[in-house]
Amino acid sequence: MYTIELEDVQGYVLREYENMKFSRFALLKASDPHKARIWINSICGQITNAEKVKKDELPEIALNIGFAKDGLLSLGLSEANLESFSPPFKEGMVTPHRQRLLGDIDSSDPEKWEWGNPDKNPAEIILLVFGKDKETCLNYYEKLQRNFEAHGLVATRNLDGLTLKDNKEHFGFRDGIAQPIVKGSGRTGPDYNCVNPGEFILGYENNYLVFPDSPAIFKEQGDVNMLPPSGARPGLRDLGKNGTYMIIRQMQEDVDGFWTFMKDRTKKEDGSIDEDASIKLASQMFGRWPSGAPLSKFPDKDPGGASDDNDFLYYDDDRSGAKCPFGSHLRRMNPRDNFEHDSPEKSIILSNRHRLMRRARLYGDPIIGSPTNHKPDGDVGIYFTCFGADISRQFEFLQYTWSNYPKIKQLYFDPDPIIGVVENPEVKTVGYGNDRHEEKQLQQFTIQGEPYNKTVKDLKRFVTIRGGAYFFFPSITSIRYLCTILPEKES
Amino acid sequence: MKITLEKGDHVLVDFKKADEVHYLRWVIIDDKTSQFFEGTDKPPKLVYSSNFDGSVENHLKKLSSNDLDAIHDPNSLESVDETMNLTDQIYGCCEGYPTDRNPTSRLNYFKKHTVKVSAFYKGSPRRTVKQILQENELRKHIRDLLEKRDWNNMSSREMHDKLKAEVFKDSRFTWAKEKFRMPRINWFKFVLLIIVIIILLPIIIIWQMIVQFGYENKDKYFTTYRSDIPTKKTEFLEEYEDLTVGEDPETGKKDMVINYQNQFSQLVDMKPGKVRLITFKAMMLFARVIIPIKYVEGTLLNIPTIHFARWVLFDDNKRVLFFSNFDGSWQQYLGDFIDQSGWGLSAIFSNTTIFPRTNWLGITGILSMNNFMPKSKTFFPGGAYDEEHFLAWSRSTELPTDIWYSAYPDLSIKNVNNNSRIRSLLAQNLSEKRAEKFFELI
Repeated sequence: MYTIELEDVQGYVLREYENMKFSRFALLKASDPHKARIWINSICGQITNAEKVKKDELPEIALNIGFAKDGLLSLGLSEANLESFSPPFKEGMVTPHRQRLLGDIDSSDPEKWEWGNPDKNPAEIILLVFGKDKETCLNYYEKLQRNFEAHGLVATRNLDGLTLKDNKEHFGFRDGIAQPIVKGSGRTGPDYNCVNPGEFILGYENNYLVFPDSPAIFKEQGDVNMLPPSGARPGLRDLGKNGTYMIIRQMQEDVDGFWTFMKDRTKKEDGSIDEDASIKLASQMFGRWPSGAPLSKFPDKDPGGASDDNDFLYYDDDRSGAKCPFGSHLRRMNPRDNFEHDSPEKSIILSNRHRLMRRARLYGDPIIGSPTNHKPDGDVGIYFTCFGADISRQFEFLQYTWSNYPKIKQLYFDPDPIIGVVENPEVKTVGYGNDRHEEKQLQQFTIQGEPYNKTVKDLKRFVTIRGGAYFFFPSITSIRYLCTILPEKES
Repeated sequence: MKITLEKGDHVLVDFKKADEVHYLRWVIIDDKTSQFFEGTDKPPKLVYSSNFDGSVENHLKKLSSNDLDAIHDPNSLESVDETMNLTDQIYGCCEGYPTDRNPTSRLNYFKKHTVKVSAFYKGSPRRTVKQILQENELRKHIRDLLEKRDWNNMSSREMHDKLKAEVFKDSRFTWAKEKFRMPRINWFKFVLLIIVIIILLPIIIIWQMIVQFGYENKDKYFTTYRSDIPTKKTEFLEEYEDLTVGEDPETGKKDMVINYQNQFSQLVDMKPGKVRLITFKAMMLFARVIIPIKYVEGTLLNIPTIHFARWVLFDDNKRVLFFSNFDGSWQQYLGDFIDQSGWGLSAIFSNTTIFPRTNWLGITGILSMNNFMPKSKTFFPGGAYDEEHFLAWSRSTELPTDIWYSAYPDLSIKNVNNNSRIRSLLAQNLSEKRAEKFFELI
């Protein structure tokens, strides 16, 4: 049995703030560490925690805060203590290696990012402000902002997010249906969907029954007695306990390109558009229908409405991929009980070692795409946000191994059709002996079926990364602690 | 030295012409100027490891020949002696390399410095580079035919027959008529092996107790985390995971592509004492026996991503090198180790220093294989199952692979075996049911 100290965990990890339709993520830059700490300390009392709240008592606003590596540095955390953070956080989202792993190349190259490029526009501190509507959110933000200047804080960028009807994203699909249930969080769900707290909250055992790599205080700074002792590192204070890592990626969605592609690839023999077929192809790529209904349960037609159906597995119902293709986004991102060639029991254990707690807020024209409505006014996209105690085993694994790497199951050339396609496939030398020739790397989507598998060829990339960063999402105690540190220079 | 691998315009192009090398690597060890060997008093050594078709003798002869062209670095001001070849260029830096350089003197040098492998795994037994590349073309061709022709109103069996006739007509695929039988698990020998193990069980259990109480409990354990490894070191190793780091000769920009294969090189010291050495050697013997019996279908201890792997005990039984070539990323590969074969890894590497604390050589991990990880900590096997410490251990004992080459960087080992299965089934006469299975593979 696990119990998480929910009152110390920042809320957004475990709560979706569903009733709060508008959000502003403000990227802050601190020029004066001392003053910045005073300001952060002043808002600590307002930070929303992860305790469960009854439906009729839901607040109208919420506040959370995260720190990228540069943010911790600018608050004055010493290098020695920064070193204790996990490698991906320390190195940051933008390294040549990570670009290749995450597929941030071509148009998604960090050189072109609007924020998050360490050389041009690094992320430091991110303030997450939520409100039940735009007015409430922005009023609350205004109040907070009044004190920025006096404390040497500058908002370098506001990421304003909205939620659309039935929680659909701009391509037109209901999002965020399946989330893992964290044991000890007071939330419950079927066994196969439950994970140990250490998968998402530092300082607790993870699914391997060991403590995740959690930052600790190696060099005494500030009031370390505020921090709990580290379970992972006897004798040290745990800076990570009740905190986690937050990953944000700004993904621009090419809604027009998406539906044009779907319609083009499903034209009738006479060349006319087949709307239903285009929706079906798009849904096969997603793994759910626009309503959210899973294809593995409704292979032929969207039952309509807004579905929260998450009660399904693959092994018994769709082992061959005939209903929901192996290459679909949904099936890749959580293979449930059908992981590669493993038994159903083992598959669930393995799948649950690579889960994400996903949050998404949209930006731009509030369009909900469809075959007849796919020309948004200006740039639209999603602020994809997710949490995980192990960035490498969770987020980066999903983005590389399950999305960009085209060879899951028995597939050859199938990247994730939604988030894994490369814009300019590489030209490679293939063949043997005299038959050696150059060939463009294939990118396709395979639809399993009889008498033989069909493929949709020459996939297009519909998502462009416009910014992103890894943040530390500390416990409320650790935030208070960070406000007590005195950097070496000041002390 | 980091070299582009698949652009075809670099030094290794000669090996590509040779068409017998699956993978190769050069790794420098004991170099005290590198951050990986700070403070060592051992002289630096160059390690060459390759996976090739044919005999060792022939492979060494090739390496010793005069045919391999030298590297000409266009950015280097140093002029290269035009008469020099690649082998001399590399090994000319080594002590004891003959000054009178000819195929025979080089061959004798290499033979003198050859180190025997302790255990070895191949994910595609009995297949040459040639066969692997050819079968991949065959699969693509079948796929093309499927998409171009009209197959309406045909049974799977008829489709198979028609495809077969069509492929065999094509002069490019005459080789495909030759029957190929996929390697299969030898269940008879496997059962025999299990019986032998059961007979030996009392000895194994007593031995385990000796190791556990006499040694493991007194050993120093690996207790650090991935964050404890200097960022500089992690970043350096990560850089070597990007296999195509070639530069565009015109723009000088580094190549940015997503890679599908990777390498792992690791060097560890044996724990002192006979008991550890015997345990390690017994595990190597076990690996040498079981691999050709059980792990012949493309998975090693259930890990479906390994092309080749080898363990080498060397330096007077004091050190172990582990080299492997695999699909996917570092995290994916090391994760598979824990998820699929933690017990095997623990039983081998708990004899090296220093390793995460292991209970009963990690073998309790087998008991929990079906239900997988123990649900409680009581029977925690430790070792490789101690995820965070195991990953940190893997990183901290890893070495950069200075030069690495893959003959088929786009093919996963699953692809390779699937292609062979397709080839094998194509040549047969199939029932309707088996024909349906055949089409699932394509």
